[in-house]
Amino acid sequence: MARNHEPKIFLFLSQILGKRIFDSKGRSLGKIVDLVANLTEPYPYVTDILLAPRSGRKQMFLPWQRITDVNNKTVAYPVTPDDFREPVLRENEALLKDALLDKQVVDTNGAKVLRVNDLHFLKTLNNLLLVHVDVGFRGLMRRVGLERPLDLFLRWFFDYTLSDQLISWKFIQTLASPDLLRLKVTQNRLARLHPADLADIIEELDIYKRTAVFQSLDVETAAETLEETSSEIQVSLIEDMEPAEASDIIEEMSLSEAADLLGDLPQDRAEDILKEMEDEFAEDVRELLVHHEGKAGGLMTTSFLRFAPSATVGEAMDCIRREAEDMDLIYYIYVVDEEEKLSGVIGLRELLTAPSKTSLGELMHTRVVSVNLDEKKGQIADHFAKYGLLAIPVVDEMNRIKGVIIFKNLLEVVAPQLGQ
Amino acid sequence: MAFNILKIKTTAFQNISRLRLWKSLGIFFVLIGPGIITSNVDNDAGGITTYSLAGADFGLELLWLLIPITLALIIIQEMCARMGVVSGKGLSDLIRERFGAKITFYLMIVLFFANLGNTVAEFAGVAASMEIFGVSKYIAVPAGAVFVWWLVVKGNYKSVEKAFLVACLFYLSYIISGFMGKPDWSEVRSAVLTPTIRFNYPFLVMAVGIIGTTIAPWMQFYLQSSVVDKGLKVDDYNYTRMDVILGSLTVNIVAFFIILLCAVTLFHSGIKIENAKDAALALEPLAGTYCSLLFAFGLLNASLFAASILPLSAAYTICEAFGWESSLNHKFAEAPQFYGLYFLMIFLGAGIILLPDMPLISIMFYSQVINGVLLPFILIFMLLLINDRRVMGHYTNSLFMNVVAWLTVASLIFLSGAMVFASLI
Repeated sequence: MARNHEPKIFLFLSQILGKRIFDSKGRSLGKIVDLVANLTEPYPYVTDILLAPRSGRKQMFLPWQRITDVNNKTVAYPVTPDDFREPVLRENEALLKDALLDKQVVDTNGAKVLRVNDLHFLKTLNNLLLVHVDVGFRGLMRRVGLERPLDLFLRWFFDYTLSDQLISWKFIQTLASPDLLRLKVTQNRLARLHPADLADIIEELDIYKRTAVFQSLDVETAAETLEETSSEIQVSLIEDMEPAEASDIIEEMSLSEAADLLGDLPQDRAEDILKEMEDEFAEDVRELLVHHEGKAGGLMTTSFLRFAPSATVGEAMDCIRREAEDMDLIYYIYVVDEEEKLSGVIGLRELLTAPSKTSLGELMHTRVVSVNLDEKKGQIADHFAKYGLLAIPVVDEMNRIKGVIIFKNLLEVVAPQLGQ
Repeated sequence: MAFNILKIKTTAFQNISRLRLWKSLGIFFVLIGPGIITSNVDNDAGGITTYSLAGADFGLELLWLLIPITLALIIIQEMCARMGVVSGKGLSDLIRERFGAKITFYLMIVLFFANLGNTVAEFAGVAASMEIFGVSKYIAVPAGAVFVWWLVVKGNYKSVEKAFLVACLFYLSYIISGFMGKPDWSEVRSAVLTPTIRFNYPFLVMAVGIIGTTIAPWMQFYLQSSVVDKGLKVDDYNYTRMDVILGSLTVNIVAFFIILLCAVTLFHSGIKIENAKDAALALEPLAGTYCSLLFAFGLLNASLFAASILPLSAAYTICEAFGWESSLNHKFAEAPQFYGLYFLMIFLGAGIILLPDMPLISIMFYSQVINGVLLPFILIFMLLLINDRRVMGHYTNSLFMNVVAWLTVASLIFLSGAMVFASLI
């Protein structure tokens, strides 16, 4: 066998902190009060210990490499004054206890905000690697000093062994303040999360971390995440941003979501953001803002496709290909006359299967389910349930098409009432 | 042309939000809640009992004490609200991050029992007040427990807050019943303006009791958490401070009227009472049936209100400290510890009342003692945290505020220490 199997020992931070360090002559140098680690990928390694000498002298860093374990007494090999360095963190370094222990972190695998009870290290011949974060009850009891009593109690009374709840460092996104500043620079693990999970996490954080995390996201992820958060938190996040940055994100949102959000903002704030937007998008949003939120007009989007009856299937398909990226709805196209009056609807499936020379007027269904601008959300929900549609057009009293309500947008309004 | 994409043209539109109309006064009403609710919960069954006894036993002599209590309450609650707004974190969160797992663990255990004791007292209040209305406690207490569970679990933060704000309004019943006692206002004025201190044991115990019931450990956690939960920001802080001051004033105004009413009726007629129920019953011949019923209704409202908040606050605080999911927005399976603790508090709180031969008086008595033991630790942690620049930035206490705060805290610690000492010998 090759000689490459190093002794592998796992250690907890709580077992390391407070240990006394002796020099090779057996004199006490002080206690370990924190560990300095270089936050490299995939696992941070410990570079130094923060040593607190007994007699109120200044705390110093001592390289981890100098330290060894002799008969459970932690000994630093021949120490010269040069071994110590001033307790100033270098690039990419952090104090582990200070930054992580008892603090909140995000488990990007389970999509949860958790509190760190302990840190779990792998000790190899030369290095101490931070491999896991302990978030379990056993870890908490270890910190309290009741790990053994808890184990004995559970074994005696329930024949149960509580295991440690360890989460691999690979999945951990820290939230401690010095690290937050670096979120943008270093690899952001939060980006792996689904926007809906990200939204849940953001809602759970305090307002400052919330803002920091949100602002660390790229524009597209931020927009998707924003769509998934509750309206109060949307407002609070947007209010913390410059209008220009906010408008970049809001432009990435769907039209109706963007309008809802701007409608919730204080008027002057919303105006500032609208001014920063592309004119076309801003105009569409203003259009939607006129309507009451609980009614058809407030739920609809104006980002959909409509055609004259004389247009052919081929022309419609070309148009869909060109515009699909920017449209909120492409599954139905609506056929309108020259006065914008709604005369028919065609599903995408029918469009795909029809010969490309067919005119839309021939293909369309003339019996269109539509609602008025001031229809209430309850009735709209009934329509969706009854006809099984993905979207319902909204018309004014002259039967002119004003917008389309997409099922997903209605669901967000109706869903909170479903669970009750 | 064969086809064209029609784009709806914009009609000019300006009226984006109606918020501006409300701006100054409106914002205040949107942002208030935490301070007023916390303070009013403070006038719970235990508080009303203490005030009734103070009035019945010592007449108007203890009224002046409410002025320093109001000031102390404002000073302490202001710090909590400020910490919540500036750090965005709850008090137990800050204590955990700053003082570590061990201290937090034991602190939370003590807090659990202190709150449990208080919850028992609230359900005792429900039982007592409903007995005045002729309802057996075996019906009233389970119904109260179900109501509390339903209100909080089925509601969301906003609806619960609204229900609580309405409950605050019901405290007016004490002010009305206070006027029904027809006090002699000139006598009241001189009693407030000339502090009386008697150096005898019952008087001092009562004085300490009033302070102890008004400034309790759970309040600091609850206030700070609700400030955080409401998402208040530093810009809103002036409104939050108003909220806290208003809350501290109303709590003491209610206390004032309870002491006043019991002083001018029960004390003048020389009637001795044991608890708030006695007070309500004794009021009937002296101040009329309506006054007595109003008093009982106030007690019911206060007890139910506090019974909703105390278990919630305990569950919230403990989960926050240990990093467990803690929000009413989660389902049971997502936050088992939170709902478990909440259920346990209500179950034990209501259950203990229904057990025959429970030594209720001593349960409440010892819960006061636990509160008294806990309070100094909480207050000292608070002062350390609020002066920590890493937590508070440049919103730490000013030198003046520190002097005032430390003096207040020192006297509170002395008094609660004295109470614990006196109660144990």
